[in-house]
Amino acid sequence: MVSSTAFLAGEYIAVETYSLSVFYGETQAVKDVSLPIARNRVTALIGPSGCGKSTFLRCLNRLNDRIPGFRMEGRVRVLDVDPYGKQVDLIELRRRVGMVFQKPTPLPMSIYDNVAIGARSHYGLRGKKLDEVVEQALQRAALWDEVKDILKRPALQLSGGQQQRLCIARMLAVEPEVILMDEPCSALDPISTFRIEELMIDLAKDHTVIVVTHNMQQAARVSDYTAFFMYGELVEYDSSKQLFLSPRQKATEDYISGRFG
Amino acid sequence: MEGIGDSALVVARSLQSGRRLRRQLADKLFTGALSGIALFSVVAVLAIIGVIIVKGLPIISWSFLTSPPAEGMTAGGIYPMIRGSVLLMVGTLVIVLPVGILGGVFLAEYAGTNVFSRFIHASVASLAGTPSVIFGLFGLAVFVLMMKMGVSLLAGCLTLALFTLPAVVFTTENAIRSVPESFIEAGMALGLSRWQILWKIVLPNAIPGILTGVVLSTGRAAGEAPPILLTAGIYYATGALPRGWEILKQPVANLPYHLAEGYRQGGVIPEAIVWGTCLTLMLFVLSINIWAIIVRTRVRRRQRW
Ligand SMILES: Nc1ncnc2c1ncn2[C@@H]1O[C@H](COP(=O)(O)OP(=O)(O)OP(=O)(O)O)[C@@H](O)[C@H]1O
Ligand SMILES: [Mg+2]
Repeated sequence: MVSSTAFLAGEYIAVETYSLSVFYGETQAVKDVSLPIARNRVTALIGPSGCGKSTFLRCLNRLNDRIPGFRMEGRVRVLDVDPYGKQVDLIELRRRVGMVFQKPTPLPMSIYDNVAIGARSHYGLRGKKLDEVVEQALQRAALWDEVKDILKRPALQLSGGQQQRLCIARMLAVEPEVILMDEPCSALDPISTFRIEELMIDLAKDHTVIVVTHNMQQAARVSDYTAFFMYGELVEYDSSKQLFLSPRQKATEDYISGRFG
Repeated sequence: MEGIGDSALVVARSLQSGRRLRRQLADKLFTGALSGIALFSVVAVLAIIGVIIVKGLPIISWSFLTSPPAEGMTAGGIYPMIRGSVLLMVGTLVIVLPVGILGGVFLAEYAGTNVFSRFIHASVASLAGTPSVIFGLFGLAVFVLMMKMGVSLLAGCLTLALFTLPAVVFTTENAIRSVPESFIEAGMALGLSRWQILWKIVLPNAIPGILTGVVLSTGRAAGEAPPILLTAGIYYATGALPRGWEILKQPVANLPYHLAEGYRQGGVIPEAIVWGTCLTLMLFVLSINIWAIIVRTRVRRRQRW
């Protein structure tokens, strides 16, 4: 169990869970997890398959709502709102908490519309203003140069790596403060992976980034803090340097050295 | 020891090969029976189509399709009937599209899985299995008599709309349910409202499926005589149509009605004209179906994922 979060001293806590437990019907996917997450840092969630990383992530923007049998206990705080509170504005919450999925999920519309759909809906932007926002988002996602001449083409014609950057641009266009990434590189080649890692580090300058990854090198490279989950429990949480160089728990050591999962 | 082992093996082998032979034989028989049945149904369909074409084609000409009946229905064309069928189809679509699509959206997105939605499901399903003549009688009782619409285009369209409603509701529901969950989650993660997700993501993706279902079921309705026999049909129609909304209050001649009457009147309508009407009706329904397929492939191609 995680006893001390002293390593977070001096950080502003943007997202926090207190004794969070999540159930799908009878199975418990997350067990009593209390996890404070630092603002404008990259925090990595690692752990064997099925240990509840995605479930945890999806509690932060309430993407679990549609799953039959879903039930949660404990408390969640995201940017001073309780996502499961009574008066929460779900639309505003999800605007402030963007998400990138494991599989790139461009919507079946043009590249431009993919990026514009959120900005249109949240800020009512049209015409030139909207063009600007779309360009900026694509620039930031390092995709602009590749698509600036084909904005009207269906997004589904892009390569996997481009699609994933498009999804990042789409998310950036609504100006989120927290960014959730669920294995964003697992379907990508090394070069696309590298670009997205660069992007994560860049985004963490002014966003709180929480990324789930199975890639230990990636977690070590890009994250400031790392949380190790197993069987739904938070086993170890520390600065990435500490956790990868000298883990305190045997289970963590076994996992990061490849002896487990 | 070795000998026994060997002969046991031989016995086992021959048993095995016997079993294999029997299995192959059963396989062949089954395949043969299936092909026979398939062939029979193809032949039956072709025979029906063939008879209709052979008997109907001689009378079909441009003037047959574009001129009204003449000489007390014993000569002339069937233009008013074609026009009436088209009017009935258009009116039916105008009514059934919004109602049916909204119903399907409701069942797929809003109703959940409670007792109420299961009740609605069961009701729509049994409506789908109801013979069309029941719809005709219902239309007569409710639209024509109770609501005092009289035998009219409006009453016919309403009856046909009811008849096609279950199919439209179900195809809409299925089309919506088959939109990938990942699209919906992407919309949720962007902070789009439920309505925006439905309108901008779900419906555009479900449209090909919905359209196909709608057109196929209205195509079927176009050929149904019972629903319009008592609610909208008229035996004789001149070339002229009433103007404005008046058109809704008047009965219309149409293809299925003309066919039904063609037999009932005991030979007033010459056989050649009946066969010609038959072929025209068949082509009418066929062209609706072909149109559905074209629309679907067009839309599919535009939004492949
Ligand atoms: N929709 C669902 N319905 C029921 N159980 C689910 C559902 N989604 C996940 N689970 C269960 O919850 C547990 C945690 O799943 P989760 O997807 O959060 O794991 P994960 O750590 O993200 O795994 P992976 O690394 O493979 O993505 C698993 O036991 C899984 O079977
Ligand atoms: Mg996962």
